[in-house]
Amino acid sequence: MSANNAGGKVNVSHSLTNKNVSLPMSRVKLIMKSSPDVSSINQDALFLTTKATELFVQYLAQCSFKNGSGKEKNTLAYSDLANAAEQSETFQFLTDILPKKILAKDYLRSLEERTEDSD
Amino acid sequence: MDGDSSTTDASQLGIAGEYMQSSHFVLQSQDEDGEEGMNDHEDGNGSKDNLREQDIYLPIANVARIMKNAVPPSGKIAKDAKECVQECVSEFISFITSEASERCHQEKRKTINGEDILFAMSTLGFDMYVEPLKLYLQKFREAMKGEKGITAVPVSESIGEELADDSFANQLPAGLITTDGQTQNVMVYTTSYQQIPGVQQIQFS
Repeated sequence: MSANNAGGKVNVSHSLTNKNVSLPMSRVKLIMKSSPDVSSINQDALFLTTKATELFVQYLAQCSFKNGSGKEKNTLAYSDLANAAEQSETFQFLTDILPKKILAKDYLRSLEERTEDSD
Repeated sequence: MDGDSSTTDASQLGIAGEYMQSSHFVLQSQDEDGEEGMNDHEDGNGSKDNLREQDIYLPIANVARIMKNAVPPSGKIAKDAKECVQECVSEFISFITSEASERCHQEKRKTINGEDILFAMSTLGFDMYVEPLKLYLQKFREAMKGEKGITAVPVSESIGEELADDSFANQLPAGLITTDGQTQNVMVYTTSYQQIPGVQQIQFS
């Protein structure tokens, strides 16, 4: 499988033997069609979107992994993704669906503190 | 589920289970693949109407595999990271699609073609993908042609009509599309795969 390197280039030759994509195109089409005002999609467009999605996953995983600041350096955690979304302009569109997580107990504690303050 | 015959099986659509999100925090239930059910909805009418676009995901196994190949071999991926990327992917697809769709409408066309997608990628900050994607597309088309051993006239850039899903699975119409757009059903036989100069041949293992 080809991979993006830091320069943003994509190595195509490695994947030449794989004429197919590793994501189901029918599912990709379903997602595309759920967008408003989309009537029909031609074969090229579907293939390109599916392939682009693969590249996107690779890119997102790589960027997040490299920026890994979690406790375990060798693991890609949710927080790495959230950080990557915040720091990179390309991933800005993901910030809404990648809110930073906090532990429930921390949230409850901050709620308590707020009610205490207002007493 | 609801006995609604017009909906497809939700578990095959990769619909996630309970998921709570507020502006400050996210709580996530431990969802296993295969246990997913439909999101709550009261009425069983219609099919697509009950599924919000963000509820349809690509299979997590495929997503996880691509991620695994993208990090160093010894690297690990947390489960919630996989699920998260699954959602990001749907978001990405919708993002590209709506941009491409807009351009399509602007040019008064109804079918989104390859050019629209490439244009959208370029506009949205993924222009480093455009050239590689064009190459991939070329290989894909050649692979589709070569599979059947049939010499076909190269089709024009945008076919302009939507093909059914199963047409991707190697059934090539044995026809020629002439320059005036008419399709003729002509059987073309060849005994060997045509060597097209300047094009790298694909080795199938």
